[in-house]
Amino acid sequence: MSQLYDLKVLIEAKITAGGLDSADVRGKIALKAGRLLSFITPTTPDDPVGVAKLKQAIKDVLNINA
Amino acid sequence: MNFKSIQAKVLIALVVCLVLGTGCVVELMHYFTVENSKSMAAEAATSSQKLFAILEAREVSKMTAVSDVLLADTQVRDAFAAKDRNRLLTLTAPLYPQLKSQGISNWMFHTSEPDTSVFLRLHNPAKFGDHLNRFMDKEVVRTHAMVSGNELARAGFAIRIIRPVYDSKGAITGYIELGEELGQFIHAMKSQSGDDYGLLLNKKFVDRQFWTDSSAALKRRDNWNDNAQFVVADRTAANDRIIRFQGDLSTVPELGTELEEYRDGSSVFVRAIFPIRDAAGNTVGAMFVVRDITAVYIAMRRTQNILLAVTVVSLSLGVFLVLMLLNRLIFARLKRILTAATRLVGGDFETKIKTDSDDEVGQLEQLFEQFRNIFLSVLAEISGAQLTR
Repeated sequence: MSQLYDLKVLIEAKITAGGLDSADVRGKIALKAGRLLSFITPTTPDDPVGVAKLKQAIKDVLNINA
Repeated sequence: MNFKSIQAKVLIALVVCLVLGTGCVVELMHYFTVENSKSMAAEAATSSQKLFAILEAREVSKMTAVSDVLLADTQVRDAFAAKDRNRLLTLTAPLYPQLKSQGISNWMFHTSEPDTSVFLRLHNPAKFGDHLNRFMDKEVVRTHAMVSGNELARAGFAIRIIRPVYDSKGAITGYIELGEELGQFIHAMKSQSGDDYGLLLNKKFVDRQFWTDSSAALKRRDNWNDNAQFVVADRTAANDRIIRFQGDLSTVPELGTELEEYRDGSSVFVRAIFPIRDAAGNTVGAMFVVRDITAVYIAMRRTQNILLAVTVVSLSLGVFLVLMLLNRLIFARLKRILTAATRLVGGDFETKIKTDSDDEVGQLEQLFEQFRNIFLSVLAEISGAQLTR
């Protein structure tokens, strides 16, 4: 599995665990990362820039270091 | 508060407007207060000047009537025509206390020209034969008609009348003079107006020795050295503030001028000054008037406070309404668009923006809804089975 997908799973887990508004959190992260989380699948190829952006978005929105 | 937001900037701008508006109102009210004080001081000067003129005219009328009665007495006229000083004194002396009690403190007979010396002074019978050479003496000799007016002389600053005395053949035998000290005027004026007054005389027109002598006679302190340019002839208030003046008395405008507003304890006063001229037109002195404006001042202050409170409340209400309106018409709707856009990207494809307005934000809402529909169509076309939810 790709690193991007792992990060997506992490996001979903945090939303479920925290009882957060899924659409709101996913939307904020997607806007900051510059990509739709819905398009990230286990086979989505990693790219260093995309991974870095997604990690930074997770930190900004969920305040966790992925 | 996010200071980068338009809402915060608008709020700051409105608060600045509120503060500036309130400041302007306070400044404006201060300006009007000062102007009102000046107006009241000017009015005090004007009304006092009128009152002074009325009292002058009244006293001239009174002295004219008294002189008519005196000159109707043939014994008095004959004694004067015969230049029989003792007989004239015997006839008139009993009347002098009565006249003095009515304010007529100066009473003189003058010989006719060319001598025109003092023949008899009822207020000082032992002194006679001197020449006064005042403006009014010369005027009555020149015109042979009654002359009246204020005149500063060795005997003091008084309002006087001088008129010719004729014998039975119609020839002038001399002149009769009646006078009242002007100092007593200010007490009469105070009793009528309630204002306080101070009468100053320009030292240039006052004899130093006379001032010392008259001060001793009137049992008042010799105040000659109190001020450089003027002496205080009389005043109705003990407070020295009433006569405080640094300028030149001769430069006081004809209609008077306001000097200052000041406080004494809880009372507020305005002070003004107007010139006093003698019969020759010289500015021989000035009169200060002090008016208590406490009641008007309190009323003005109360009105100002009410106006200030109404202004602050109105402006605050205006700021609140503007913010409410901006929030309802713009900021809340923009936030809804932002939320809907975020949720759309986050996978919530059902959140729609309802708009029933055609204003600028309404057009943006319509545009967003169109964009949302296009976005969903594109998503459906290009992703299909790739969508995981």
